[in-house]
Amino acid sequence: EDKGEDESKEEDNGSQQNRASRRKNYQRKNRDGKKAREEGSQKKDRGKTAPTKDQKESENKEKKTTKRGKEGENKQKKDRKNSTSSASSNSSDEESLSEEELAMLKEQVEQKKKLISTMRNKPWRMVKKLSVLREAQDFVEKFEGALGKGKGKKLYAYKMMMAKKWVKFKRDFENFKTQCIPWEMKIKEVESHFGSSVASYFIFLRWMYGVNLVLFGLIFGLVIIPEVLMGMPYGSMPRKTVPRAEQATAMDFSVLWDFEGYIKYSALFYGYYNNQRTIGWLKYRLPMAYFMVGISVFGYSLMVVIRSMARNANESTADGDDDNFIFSWKMFTSWDYLIGNPETADNKFASITTSFKESIVDEQESNKDENIHLRRFLRVLANVLIICCLCGSGYLIYFVVKRSQTFSKMQNVGWYERNEVEIVMSLLGMFCPPLFETIAALENYHPRIGLKWQLGRIFALFLGNLYTFLLALMDDVNEKLAEEDVVKNITHWTLLGHHNSSAGNDSTVTPPPLDPADVPRGPCWETTVGIEFVRLTVSDILVTYITILVGDFIRACFVRFVNYCWCWDLEAGFPSYAEFDISGNVLGLIFNQGMIWMGSFYAPGLVGINVLRLLTSMYFQCWAVMSSNVPHERVFKASKSNNFYMGLLLLILFLSLLPVAYTIMSLPPSFDCGPFSGKKRMYDVIQETIELDFPLFVAKIFSYVANPGLIIPAILLMVLAIYYLNAVSEAYQRANAELKKKMQMQREEEKNKRNNKASTNPMLQDLEDLLTPSTKTESPPKQTEDKKIESPNGTSPVRKPGRGEVLDGSPMAGGRGAAFIPPSPVFVTQPRTLGVRAPYPGQPRPWGHPLGPVPGRGRGQPCY
Amino acid sequence: SVSHSQITRLYSRFTSLDKGENGTLSREDFQRIPELAINPLGDRIINAFFPEGEDQVNFRGFMRTLAHFRPIEDNEKNKDQNGPEPLNSRSNKLHFAFRLYDLDKDDKISRDELLQVLRMMVGVNISDEQLGSIADRTIQEADQDGDSAISFAEFVKVLEKVDVEQKMSIRFLH
Repeated sequence: EDKGEDESKEEDNGSQQNRASRRKNYQRKNRDGKKAREEGSQKKDRGKTAPTKDQKESENKEKKTTKRGKEGENKQKKDRKNSTSSASSNSSDEESLSEEELAMLKEQVEQKKKLISTMRNKPWRMVKKLSVLREAQDFVEKFEGALGKGKGKKLYAYKMMMAKKWVKFKRDFENFKTQCIPWEMKIKEVESHFGSSVASYFIFLRWMYGVNLVLFGLIFGLVIIPEVLMGMPYGSMPRKTVPRAEQATAMDFSVLWDFEGYIKYSALFYGYYNNQRTIGWLKYRLPMAYFMVGISVFGYSLMVVIRSMARNANESTADGDDDNFIFSWKMFTSWDYLIGNPETADNKFASITTSFKESIVDEQESNKDENIHLRRFLRVLANVLIICCLCGSGYLIYFVVKRSQTFSKMQNVGWYERNEVEIVMSLLGMFCPPLFETIAALENYHPRIGLKWQLGRIFALFLGNLYTFLLALMDDVNEKLAEEDVVKNITHWTLLGHHNSSAGNDSTVTPPPLDPADVPRGPCWETTVGIEFVRLTVSDILVTYITILVGDFIRACFVRFVNYCWCWDLEAGFPSYAEFDISGNVLGLIFNQGMIWMGSFYAPGLVGINVLRLLTSMYFQCWAVMSSNVPHERVFKASKSNNFYMGLLLLILFLSLLPVAYTIMSLPPSFDCGPFSGKKRMYDVIQETIELDFPLFVAKIFSYVANPGLIIPAILLMVLAIYYLNAVSEAYQRANAELKKKMQMQREEEKNKRNNKASTNPMLQDLEDLLTPSTKTESPPKQTEDKKIESPNGTSPVRKPGRGEVLDGSPMAGGRGAAFIPPSPVFVTQPRTLGVRAPYPGQPRPWGHPLGPVPGRGRGQPCY
Repeated sequence: SVSHSQITRLYSRFTSLDKGENGTLSREDFQRIPELAINPLGDRIINAFFPEGEDQVNFRGFMRTLAHFRPIEDNEKNKDQNGPEPLNSRSNKLHFAFRLYDLDKDDKISRDELLQVLRMMVGVNISDEQLGSIADRTIQEADQDGDSAISFAEFVKVLEKVDVEQKMSIRFLH
């Protein structure tokens, strides 16, 4: 069977060979360039005089060597010129030749067709059958058209042309696609100067911008624009009118800047919306839409975060292996030969340098070997210190918040007492991160891992910030709720009184409606919350931008220009230029996003502000980083997946979902503002819609589904499914790791084998044996001895007895028993001493095979 | 293996580069190509155009060197190994690249040669010591027979998974 396979292979090779030369000729025939003609005929000559494979091979070798020689030497080049000229003189009999070629080609096609029809009967493996079949079909398809006269040929030419056009189109399209990715060039430029870690922040920013655009589209398209177009106009009802008392100052800038006045009574905030069930001629159910959009903002965000996390996880496992030749690849392939623009070239130089630096850092990290106990002790110490810091600041925040609650009840408190919480918070935010960084220096992590720790710690600190903010807000809301009850009665009585008074005067005339500006109204806590979030966001934007301007740009200008007349070197010495603060920026972005998620339900316009912010900060920060920052001292490569950022984002998303869900589920909406006014709870709008707009049975189904008896088992089922899937994925992971290890060992083995092949000289081998222990200190000399003892057994290159069999010395190991061993998969060919010889799979350099006959090539194809 | 239109295109390019208008190109003519002037290995690539000891190259020589850069097309890829090898084959491309690094033509890339290339690529931004360790590391990765130099076979092995066909192609002509 094997033999047959070999034969067919040979035949195949032969036919392929012919085919190649045929094709060459065919191509030549289609062209009329002189050069092409020469070359083609040359090749044709070669192809013709090669009836058997062996002859051909030897001839090729000859050709190759002569060719190589020619390239170097001048004299032979002239020879070649002669030969080519003779070839061109031969071109007179070209026509007949090509006829012959054509006939052969035809024959070939026939042969292939026959092969396709008889494929079923061949005793080949399925894989081979399939591949041969595919090849044959391709061949027939390609050349059948070419052989035919007239129409077929034209069709073929047309096909070829279209194929070419298609390739070109695809390439253009790819280019176009890259151009369409927003800010790709900007980010690449930053990456080339500052390394992938800084670039990862900008990529994250861009991703965030995309998500926010979608949210913006949802909210504006489904809530704000319908309200503006079809809702009642401004001034038609109390909730849409500025109260009389505020009207005088409603357009002042200072008022507008605080989001009071006209801005407060606009579609940007919750309170403006009317509780009318349907609006406009479309009968658009605005309250319903408002509620659904509020939910789907969270739904979409959750989905998108989790999906991109999953994709990142996939990617990071997809191309994680093969880091054997990092430096070599960088060395030999990093330059892009198509670069023609000096600026791009500068970037490329910078990026090559950066990537080398990144690799050096990685390398240093992996080669680090020192006192592991000291290291562990220091790490524990650092963590203890940081936990102390966090606890301390947590307690401080708690204490200050408590105090501020007592202060707020007192009268006549000073400025400091009123702003104590904010001051403490910002002081903590200013001093803790550098403190953490200092402590983190103890741990001496790789900067990439260090960044993660730093992020996590600052995140914990910022959570305190969030907690105080929410606490203050909840107090506020409760206060407003109490106030509302009072106002509700007043409003009721006012309206009633108005009616009565007008009715008393003249009962026949309908009373003139009370001006909407004069109606007393509740505090509308939803709008207050919304305004609070908007203010926070805006002030955050300002603080960020001013920090960048002062801390980076002005500092850079100072360092740069004052340096000429200063006592010490400012650039190298104390102030120097700022580094780009990755952790701070990432966390700022994440917390800002949390604010947006929390606030967007009560201030639909908030997302618009955020979109603007992200857009400007993309340009602003790119400019700032390129103009006034210096790369990090240890440029490090970002991890392939920025799942850590995503994880933090997910956490924040979850945390910001909680308060919103709480307010929706358990606080009563204000009675006189917002789309849900008049209802007991906000989610009543769903029930209402189901009852009024859907047929009865839907309501019934809904009530069944909402039954706890159904929900609890469903949750249980989900938990079980999660458990099961988790177990499965763990099993897969284990299998994956195992396979990876195997592959690595195999590669190692191949290396060893080739090594042995290369050093056939026994003298050299001995020398290498001597050198082995000294060059590789990790390998104890005992192992080499073991190898020597065992090596005489391992003579047979291909069918070696499996390792286990020899070790327990079963009778199957020798003699005829070996015949029972199934046809060996590749990894069986590894020598039995594998476990001893290659204890470290990642070892770059193998040891020479010690003694005994040189093993053959195994079944692998020769590589060169 | 270059088509007619490609040749005419190249020829017009050749004549436009040829400032002396004598049918040959000198080194200075090549230096005028921005892609080559910028390339850290530009000089070496230009050298590859010139046969040993000459400083002029005619159109034929020009074409022969450029043929290395022609992309491999799909229909050529699955051609078997034994056939007459076109200049743009993978191994020829690799060999061309190898010669760019192998300055003293001993068919081995030594540590010094690597260092030279490194200096050209990263300039003064990385200290000599680090450059040395990069070069050592590169050799350590690629070296299989322990002679602390990279032979062509090792070079091929290193770049086995790199898409040389793409990297060493200039999209001239289509």
